[in-house]
Amino acid sequence: MSLTAKRGVLLLVVALVAFALGRLAVRFVMNLLLGGSLFGGNFL
Amino acid sequence: MSANVKEKKGRALFVGLCVLVFLLAFGAGVVSKFAIAPSWSKEYSVVWSDEIGTLKADLSYGDGDANKFDLYLPKDNGKGNYGLAVYLHAGGFTMGDKADDRNTLAWLCSKGYVAAGINYTLRTETNEASVLSQSNEIKAAVPKVIEAAEAFGYHIDKLTMAGGSAGHALAMIYAYRDAKESPVPVVFTYGAVGPSSFYQEDWGIFGLDRNDEACALLFSVMAGVEISAEEIRDGSYLEKVKPIAAAEWVNENSAPTVVAYGTHDRAQPFLASLRLKSALEENGVDFRYFECTHSGHGLQNDGKISRQWMEAVVEYLGKYMPI
Repeated sequence: MSLTAKRGVLLLVVALVAFALGRLAVRFVMNLLLGGSLFGGNFL
Repeated sequence: MSANVKEKKGRALFVGLCVLVFLLAFGAGVVSKFAIAPSWSKEYSVVWSDEIGTLKADLSYGDGDANKFDLYLPKDNGKGNYGLAVYLHAGGFTMGDKADDRNTLAWLCSKGYVAAGINYTLRTETNEASVLSQSNEIKAAVPKVIEAAEAFGYHIDKLTMAGGSAGHALAMIYAYRDAKESPVPVVFTYGAVGPSSFYQEDWGIFGLDRNDEACALLFSVMAGVEISAEEIRDGSYLEKVKPIAAAEWVNENSAPTVVAYGTHDRAQPFLASLRLKSALEENGVDFRYFECTHSGHGLQNDGKISRQWMEAVVEYLGKYMPI
């Protein structure tokens, strides 16, 4: 795999992880306000 | 420029790009959580249009500024009888408005029901409004809503009481406490996360189980009567909070019920909902109780169970208030 391809894959992984973390952060804040568990139930 | 320096520059640029992508994707994740409603929930929410029917807004049922209701009349006005679906707004008894539920009311109207959203006097720092006074306003409003529907040519022969949170509490009080005085039979009640009982030991979410004075204060405000810490200690407060404790009014004739509660609720005690569940079971009421085990007051983490709850609502509406 070329360096450019490797970096493309890495960027994709970073984007997916960051997207999931963004949703998890909202869930965390909502749980603080309303109550709830961080994991389980809905996917993120 | 040497190859080494070029490589270092390229790596730094890529790290910067990673940080930028991270921030953008993180922001997109945050926005998506708010902006994208679960696809199933759209089945129970309709944007109002004249194609659905006629909206009569801000009709009066009393002298108070908040004594207003909105009436959603279905397009088909040729039937002999209509079911009335009342949906009461949320807001912790201190805020909210009937307009907050316009999409829910429009959905009910689109199904062929006459739907009504009723405002009630909210508790403020300068008034003495309580859950008791609010429940009495709803009790006074229902006959007026039915009269108004009749005046517009829609004969009401049965009633569903529903609501969210505070509105759910008020809907249950009407359905269980006031049903026998209702102009038409209350055939069904549904809602979510409404407080239905006031036992000190259940209210640990606010620390009331360990503080008699705080418990007396909050229960006094909610019940609209003076309750002392002594009455909390000797248990005599239970009689004083009974008028606002819907679960205490459940009997074998109570309306079929569909409710949902969050196990981790921080606004109203989950334990109180178990008392409601027991009362419904003990009295043989046809009911469905949904526990959202990962959620709190918003039922926000249990889409699958929330969907089952709404499917049960539709099933019970079809069974007890058929179009």
